[in-house]
Amino acid sequence: MQGTHDIDEPTTADNGDGLDPREAARLLAQTERDAKRQFNISPSWFTAFGGVVIVVGYGALWLSTRGQHPYSGPSAGAIVLVYAAVVVSIGVSAKLYQRATVGVSGPSVRQQRAEGVAILVSFVLGSPIIQGAMKNAGANHAIVYGLIPAAAPLIIVGTTVLGIAASKADWPQFGAALTVITGGVVAAFVGPSAAWLAAGIGLGIGVAVYAAATAKHHRRS
Amino acid sequence: MDTDALDPVIHAPARLRIVATLAALPDTDTLSFTRLQNMLDLTPGNLITHLRKLEDAGYLTSETTGNGRASRTSIALSRQGRAALDSYADTLRDLLGGLRTTNTPRSRGHT
Repeated sequence: MQGTHDIDEPTTADNGDGLDPREAARLLAQTERDAKRQFNISPSWFTAFGGVVIVVGYGALWLSTRGQHPYSGPSAGAIVLVYAAVVVSIGVSAKLYQRATVGVSGPSVRQQRAEGVAILVSFVLGSPIIQGAMKNAGANHAIVYGLIPAAAPLIIVGTTVLGIAASKADWPQFGAALTVITGGVVAAFVGPSAAWLAAGIGLGIGVAVYAAATAKHHRRS
Repeated sequence: MDTDALDPVIHAPARLRIVATLAALPDTDTLSFTRLQNMLDLTPGNLITHLRKLEDAGYLTSETTGNGRASRTSIALSRQGRAALDSYADTLRDLLGGLRTTNTPRSRGHT
């Protein structure tokens, strides 16, 4: 505050005369709520949006592969829908992050950025590399375009998030990650078409667990 | 209700809002002057006056980097300021006779 900003009007230094303790308590609570909301990088509406994206995306993948004999993979329309949903989700998430952290600096911001990069890298590289290796090794279509892309992202990204949650003692996130990993494990063993359904259910429950635990935490604080 | 027990440095609407907003960040994080001003909807002059008062009391620290228009002032609540806010909230609760306020969290974090 060494004169770095223009003082464009006479200043006032209000004091607490006349500020009733009840009013002060209300003001304190309201300010804390507002600040937490504005610093929050993952608001509840975004969690709900994520839940809808999961239901629509995985539902489309499952419906487009259901009853295929032999398994030929999701339809082009379902794949385009899922990629579009992923791109929109990443874009919205980046925008929310930018809005919440503008003007904020310090170790926690750097840590959040590193966590975001770790999750993105595990998502972008994990499954495609395994799919490529499997295809190169001669694995059949049902494994390369069914089981692996349905199950691997949940297990790989879920494990990354599990580690992050453990390091922060964020138990709602830990429980959600564990649920997602379980969904991925189940998806790996139920066949190529049902794998999409199992993955969608696992992710959906994971998001619901996280939303419920976060809401409970906010109500307590 | 007797408000003498309340810390006079914090017990003013603008300063209470400043301290409560900064307390929503993790201990080691700072907030830019511009973001704080936008969040609280205060004029620059008014905000500077209150920040000076809080800084004089040792409740916050500020650091300015750069020169002229490119300068950036970062503000953080000091450990002393965080303790003062906790103490202020406790005193408020005592004054209100144990009545539960709508939401007066004691633990704060960057969610």
